[in-house]
Amino acid sequence: MAGVGSSHLRPSDEVLLQVTDLHVEYSAGRGRTVRAVSGVSFDVAEGETLGLVGESGCGKSTTAHAVLQLPRPASGTVVLDGVDLTTLGGEELRRIRTGLQMIFQDPIASLNPRRRVADIVREGLDIWPDHLPRDQQGAGAAADATDRVRAVLGSVGMDLDEVGTRRPHEFSGGQCQRLCIARALVLDPRVLICDEPVSALDVSIQAQILNLLEDLKEEYGLTMLFIAHDLAVVKSISDRVCVMYLGRICEIGPTDTIFDLPAHPYTDALLASIPQLDPGGGAEEDVLAGDPPSPFDVPSGCRFRTRCPRATELCAEQVPELSEVSGGRFVACHFPLTGDPAQ
Amino acid sequence: MNAPNETPTLVVEDLCTSFATERGALRAVDGVSFTLHSGRTLGVVGESGSGKSATARSIMNLLPPGVSMTTGRVLLDGRDVRNLPRTESRHIWGVEASMVFQNPMTSLNPVIQVGRQIGEGLRYHRKMSREAAGHRARELLEQVGIADPDRRLQEYPHQLSGGMRQRVMIAIALACEPKLLIADEPTTALDVTVQKQILDLLDRLRRQHSMAMILITHDLSVVAGRTDEVIVMYAGRIVEKAPTLQLFTKMRHPYTKALFESIPKVAQPSHTRLRIIQGRPPDLATLPPGCAFAPRCAHAQPRCLSENPSLSGSEHAAHRHACFYPAGTPEGERALAANRAAGRTAAGLSLVGDLTAVGEGMPS
Repeated sequence: MAGVGSSHLRPSDEVLLQVTDLHVEYSAGRGRTVRAVSGVSFDVAEGETLGLVGESGCGKSTTAHAVLQLPRPASGTVVLDGVDLTTLGGEELRRIRTGLQMIFQDPIASLNPRRRVADIVREGLDIWPDHLPRDQQGAGAAADATDRVRAVLGSVGMDLDEVGTRRPHEFSGGQCQRLCIARALVLDPRVLICDEPVSALDVSIQAQILNLLEDLKEEYGLTMLFIAHDLAVVKSISDRVCVMYLGRICEIGPTDTIFDLPAHPYTDALLASIPQLDPGGGAEEDVLAGDPPSPFDVPSGCRFRTRCPRATELCAEQVPELSEVSGGRFVACHFPLTGDPAQ
Repeated sequence: MNAPNETPTLVVEDLCTSFATERGALRAVDGVSFTLHSGRTLGVVGESGSGKSATARSIMNLLPPGVSMTTGRVLLDGRDVRNLPRTESRHIWGVEASMVFQNPMTSLNPVIQVGRQIGEGLRYHRKMSREAAGHRARELLEQVGIADPDRRLQEYPHQLSGGMRQRVMIAIALACEPKLLIADEPTTALDVTVQKQILDLLDRLRRQHSMAMILITHDLSVVAGRTDEVIVMYAGRIVEKAPTLQLFTKMRHPYTKALFESIPKVAQPSHTRLRIIQGRPPDLATLPPGCAFAPRCAHAQPRCLSENPSLSGSEHAAHRHACFYPAGTPEGERALAANRAAGRTAAGLSLVGDLTAVGEGMPS
């Protein structure tokens, strides 16, 4: 299969989160099925940020939700810290899932408008009191939960005494995203999943949140799965990048390598589509015509072949497997770009 | 540049728009003036609440009269179009000047076929027959690059992709061959590859029809390669205005410069620390006296807190900025150096740790 294969996965004892051959399907009525994610495998090492990029409908958000088992994937495994989440259910799943926290695109809609900030941030600790360090349980637990809330609010640049009794509507979008981050951090998660966390924010606020996430990565040793459609944002924050197209992985590898020398024609086209900040440039050239095909009717073989300038018959027949082209960088393409100018 | 004696397609003079709110009048557009000639593109850049969309809607007369108040002059082809009787103005909006909006999903009528929506303006304004309008609609769909136009004419908006819907919106806007096209964040809702297609399309159509175009966006990189002139707005006012190339090589207003520097760039290696603009955009109902950007500005001096700088010239005649201490000038650099030495600006903004400190600050 294609855009598939697992040769790019690192040994499971070196990684924190490992996703193998993930398939997610939705029923779309009238007997039709959307295969939103088909055979996606990736891993994230402790302290690493993996960026997931692609256009809308490529399955990047679905992948992240499937990691959380929301909804459960049709097949595949999601191993966090050696435990396969797909085999768990009920209480066990709920408990281990506290280690996966998420922040969303629309920070204002993600906060309950009727609750006070302190209660919103604290809720996870009320449900899981044993997530506080052990010596803090018992009589002193309430005060210590408050300390924890104060600490995480402090890490996102807010003061509990000042904001604790306020409600979300009193805050701007950027501040609401800070609150969402504080809420996600309060249970000390193993992996923070960020689903387009800055795309609803203004440019000047976006930079503040990106810098904040970088600071928190240092402070808490955060491991992040970072989803965004903005390539510059993904490049700025990720250690490794995974490019997706129509439910499959095109290319995965170290950020700077992928951006400097894209090997998959789709990555190349994506990068060429970015508007340049240089007013001298901006030459009109057709980098990629048309829209992505419908997920109901995906092309055979390589799913990108209908828009790919390099496609041949082989691409229609055989699904390309992810294979290594250079150190740590894997590409699912029969005819990858090698950076040779003659091509 | 066009011959100076040619009538500009659009002249906007001292446009002011305020909204009546519970908290009093809110000045969304404050003294905006510019001139636009045919065949040229003006970029309007700003963050949310900067007044860029309110400016466009004021020009297009799209704001509800009950809650908003607009003053100033708008001349379309030399004709003052702000105070025309209804019978005349209805054949100007959408005919001589038309607009493309941000969200193609909600701008189209979901229960009417695409072909009829494109032909609607032609039937009403140009008094075309149904057949003629249908024929022209097909031509327009071809022009905006939609494959298989005969089939698409019969379809409903939900059957089209986001990019195709925006193409249909552009076809509707172009139906009556306007002299002025205002595109308000036309690609914000679209993917990056489709964004490029739509921007290229708008550019090509502007050239073919020698239209004047206003491209409104929050994204500096969208205006970089595609406009002749750029206006940067902040809190309802123009803070900087320059020919595009000039602006990108010599950013004078500290806001323009800071906005540019806060954008993550693909050319930078990953984990490059971004420069941030501290604080957040001001509340338009409680604007500070003096320059609205002063509380967030690293250059701010006592004068900035009491006096509002007007848009004035610089060494380049067409390059104007509203700042007492512009970046890249001796007085601006002196102001910045003095603030850095003191660790804070006249507005009390801390500059310790340079401009990359965390604080967005608390709500006031």
